[in-house]
Amino acid sequence: MRFFKWLAVVIALAAFMAGCGGDGEEKAPEAAAVKEPIKIGGMIDLSGPTSEVGNPYADGVKAGMAYINDNGGINGRPIEFMLEDTGYKTERGQDIYNRFVFQEKVVAIQGFGTAVSQDLKAQIATDKIPNFTASYSADLTDPAQAPYNFFIATDYSTQLRCDLKWFKDNFKGEGAPKVAFVYPDHPYGKTPIAAGKEYALELGYEVVGEENVSLGAKEADANPAIIRLKELTPDFTWIGGTTKSTAAIIKSAKANGFETNFFVNIWGCDEDLVRLAGDAAEGVYSNQAAAVYGADVPGMKIIEKYTDGKPQMTHFSRGFTSALVMAEGLKIADAQGELTGEALKTALETLTDVDTMGLTPKISFTPEDHRPNMGILLYQVQGGKLVLVEEVSLERRADWLGK
Amino acid sequence: MQGKCGLFFTSYAQEREFFQSGFQKSCLAIFMLVLLILPTMVNTYYVTIVNTVLISVMAAASLNLLTGFCGQISLGHAAFMGVGAYSTANALIWGIPFLPAVLFGGLCSAVIGMFFGIPSLRLKGIYLAISTMAAQLILSYVFLHWDGATGGSSGILLRPPQIFGYVFDSHEKRYYLFLGMTVLVLLTISNLVRSRFGRAFVAIRDFHLSAEIAGVNLFKFKLYAFGVSSFLAGIAGAMLVHRTMKVSMDNFGIDMSIAYLAMIIVGGLGSVLGSIMGGIFMSLLPVVLGIVAASLSGVFSGIESQIAAVKEGVFGLVIILFLIFEPEGLVHRWRLIKAYWKLYPFAH
Repeated sequence: MRFFKWLAVVIALAAFMAGCGGDGEEKAPEAAAVKEPIKIGGMIDLSGPTSEVGNPYADGVKAGMAYINDNGGINGRPIEFMLEDTGYKTERGQDIYNRFVFQEKVVAIQGFGTAVSQDLKAQIATDKIPNFTASYSADLTDPAQAPYNFFIATDYSTQLRCDLKWFKDNFKGEGAPKVAFVYPDHPYGKTPIAAGKEYALELGYEVVGEENVSLGAKEADANPAIIRLKELTPDFTWIGGTTKSTAAIIKSAKANGFETNFFVNIWGCDEDLVRLAGDAAEGVYSNQAAAVYGADVPGMKIIEKYTDGKPQMTHFSRGFTSALVMAEGLKIADAQGELTGEALKTALETLTDVDTMGLTPKISFTPEDHRPNMGILLYQVQGGKLVLVEEVSLERRADWLGK
Repeated sequence: MQGKCGLFFTSYAQEREFFQSGFQKSCLAIFMLVLLILPTMVNTYYVTIVNTVLISVMAAASLNLLTGFCGQISLGHAAFMGVGAYSTANALIWGIPFLPAVLFGGLCSAVIGMFFGIPSLRLKGIYLAISTMAAQLILSYVFLHWDGATGGSSGILLRPPQIFGYVFDSHEKRYYLFLGMTVLVLLTISNLVRSRFGRAFVAIRDFHLSAEIAGVNLFKFKLYAFGVSSFLAGIAGAMLVHRTMKVSMDNFGIDMSIAYLAMIIVGGLGSVLGSIMGGIFMSLLPVVLGIVAASLSGVFSGIESQIAAVKEGVFGLVIILFLIFEPEGLVHRWRLIKAYWKLYPFAH
């Protein structure tokens, strides 16, 4: 019995000490951080088909949040960033979103893929929660359809238009340049095609071909499309897809002796393409929205500091910028009064020519137009590296909004 | 309890009653009461989870009618739900009121379901699974490419449902709509399976030749099964898109078709209760895993992506373990538990 008594005393003491320890830990941050943190939810694909680009993007957003918190937060209030994996699944996206909004009471969401962003388009407008996505579908830039969607890159359609414009302006051949489109038969791949065809015709291109190559394609799967396209001899071939499918297409093109100028969309070309496609990647153009690692801009110096000089993909820079732009809005909204999703939306719509420290072209939003800018950074793979060719920009045409 | 050590029937009608004892009836009444006051007791987040569960139950029950009762495997169930959802959305755009629009969605889905059910006369088992998978792929293609009717990749935006002037504009309000629909769907199926049709379905499932000899017109009844199942699936699809007020094709992919099939296998084939249990289990499992993962990433920061990968693995593992240790589904375990307690403490 004595043993049990002693044991009881020891347990009681231990519990007491643990309790004290717990109290101490809880009190300490309260004393240090006087102001209440701002909760932001992160819904990014860390697993599933788009995780290869989702992970660097998420790292970028996290680094962006860390940078904001290290520099005084939002008017002294720190950001509490909660990151969850959506895995490109709408069911899971809904669950995470509902938890963030109704349980955690987040002010805004840092979202990611097309499936989840599209699924929540109406819901975020009802709940008044701004969503910063990395799905740059043009319909998300039209506040009449998607009032609470924001992103920091120009939309897919405008990206394609920029490519077409640049190529037309620099075309040295005879007659009308011929254009072909290769993309996956998938909501994400199909989005900009109609707009691209329309603008190509407007610029005086001849649209010669259109092929589907799926996101999971291997080189052999791309062969039939490439062999058909080779007959049509396009001068300009657009590739929509992911890095993997792009690698399959350009490798197949090299093997089949198909010569053209490949223009790859924002998610289809990154630092990984050279590793996946080797020599075939040489000379491929790609429209990007953010500076690559090591670029000589002030923002990149900060990213280098936060990543200890370890090279990151361009998706990282975009995630980082997405966090920065959101913070600009948060600062204005917080200074004006109670920080809500609605206040953040209104604040974001006052942003004009925000300088993202050179990481992206300047960003503006208005209540009628959520297109952040009309420009791209055109890169080309040269010597196994992404080299900036030119910053291409188009006029902000009203008839392009949302299309 | 009725003071007897068993239930004795003196007529077939008695035997076919849904709830054979007063105890069952009072349990159900209490359960329904809890469901009715649920939204007032819990956070909106939990209401959204229950909404998802209700829709899964509807979808699983309608698939169970086809696969569990009639023995026709379908890998296109989510696509049939999609047909219902898109048709309902279009009917709403034309200005048709909500309930008739949902009915229209169900009917469209039934027609499409019956069309893709035609091969079932010649194909059985795995071959039928493949042909219904073709239906899934064809319909997915239509959802993406028929821009005029489906909005293509950007989908269709919806307004909150409105019935007789009452607007279901919050998750709590829609909960009652979904609950009502689920009860209706489950009642329809439960009544159907104890009718002439239900007996024909079961006869076809058990052995098609005997069924035909007994006078069941195989083709007709198989098509009925596809029609009714797709009709109810269409209604479930119409409800599903009213969770987020958005019709997007990603809700109706082959992964969802497989998920619904998994629900009825885990819950119990050929049982309405099994569909309910499977729907609840399979919808809650990822949520629970998500909560566990979230609390883990709070402890170990920076490992979200590893946890994400492990979570997928655990999800698969749970299903495999279920199939090994509970091949007849959750409903079988439930029956065993009930049988044990019925005679407790005098098992004999």
